[in-house]
Amino acid sequence: MSSNLHNAMSSDSGPSSGEDTLRLIASLPAPAGLEERVHKALRAAPRSGRVLAWPQRFRARIASGTVMESNWMRAAAAAAIVFVVVGGGWGVYSRVQPGQAGKGLVMPQLMPSSGGLSGSGAIRTPVTIPGPKVGEQGTQTAKKPAVPKKAASGQHPEGEATPQPAVSQ
Amino acid sequence: MGTGQAIYAGWMEIPTSAVNEEARRRAEDAAIAALVDQYAGALYRVAYSVLRNATDAEDAVQEAFLRVLRHRDTLDEVRDQRVWLIRIVWNIALDRKRRAKTRPETDDVSELARVLPATGLSAEELAAAAEHHAHVLTCVERLPAKEREVLLLSAFEELTSVEIAAVLEITESSVRSRLFRARNLMAELLDHDSSLR
Repeated sequence: MSSNLHNAMSSDSGPSSGEDTLRLIASLPAPAGLEERVHKALRAAPRSGRVLAWPQRFRARIASGTVMESNWMRAAAAAAIVFVVVGGGWGVYSRVQPGQAGKGLVMPQLMPSSGGLSGSGAIRTPVTIPGPKVGEQGTQTAKKPAVPKKAASGQHPEGEATPQPAVSQ
Repeated sequence: MGTGQAIYAGWMEIPTSAVNEEARRRAEDAAIAALVDQYAGALYRVAYSVLRNATDAEDAVQEAFLRVLRHRDTLDEVRDQRVWLIRIVWNIALDRKRRAKTRPETDDVSELARVLPATGLSAEELAAAAEHHAHVLTCVERLPAKEREVLLLSAFEELTSVEIAAVLEITESSVRSRLFRARNLMAELLDHDSSLR
């Protein structure tokens, strides 16, 4: 059903409904020279609507169908791009080894400054750096001090002093 | 002339496909130019009914035709070009109005006083008429969006209910019911305001 609403409205809507105002606005004439200005804007507009467009010489041949349908070309180009991206990603992924356990170097600690004085960059040297000296077993037993022979001087074993001879004056 | 043939302009060979492309482009430009000549005024009025500013309405018309230019490949598929164009400019105008909400209403009054016909009216009568129209438009703005849109489009004599339904992408019965509600609400608002005065 195609009917004009304007006729239906004007039959039962008085001026108090405000539609006369809307009708007045709807019937305002367009400003002079509007068409010319629109033509000018259209002429100044860029012609290419696509971000990536085929070159002119390819576009003409594609449109005529002598080379290939443009949809086929687009599909092939899209497939090539996907292939390159996926292949490159797989190449990177296949070359990267899983991460090994970290071989961390423990840095020596700086000596804490005490009494508000700086440590002047002094670094505490662990005592383990020279390392323990482990000698041979035979050399250690040979250096024991010799025990003196008790029978050599004729002393009593109990430590009593021998009687000295009397001295006559 | 077959596809493989060519036109010889002196020593230079011009492929037929390039000639066809150029001819097609010229035909599209001519079709768009004809649309501009035929419908620019109507589109301006539609845009102005929403925006109520001459400069904004003209910008909306230009933007609508620029969109047509961008989609000129699909121009042949459009069944009713007039409704299609009105729908484009309608959406552009609504979008612009949504973005330019900060414009004061006093601009509407001064704009109306400038553009409304002033034949046989004194300056005072003209000012009073502009104030009345601005009051009506204020009431229109207070309507719900769905009812307001139908009311604005129904003011155009050249638009039938079917075409309004096509512009708003609703059914024709919805157009009628919304218009009925809009008119009742408008009458209530105007009565309420007149009783307050």
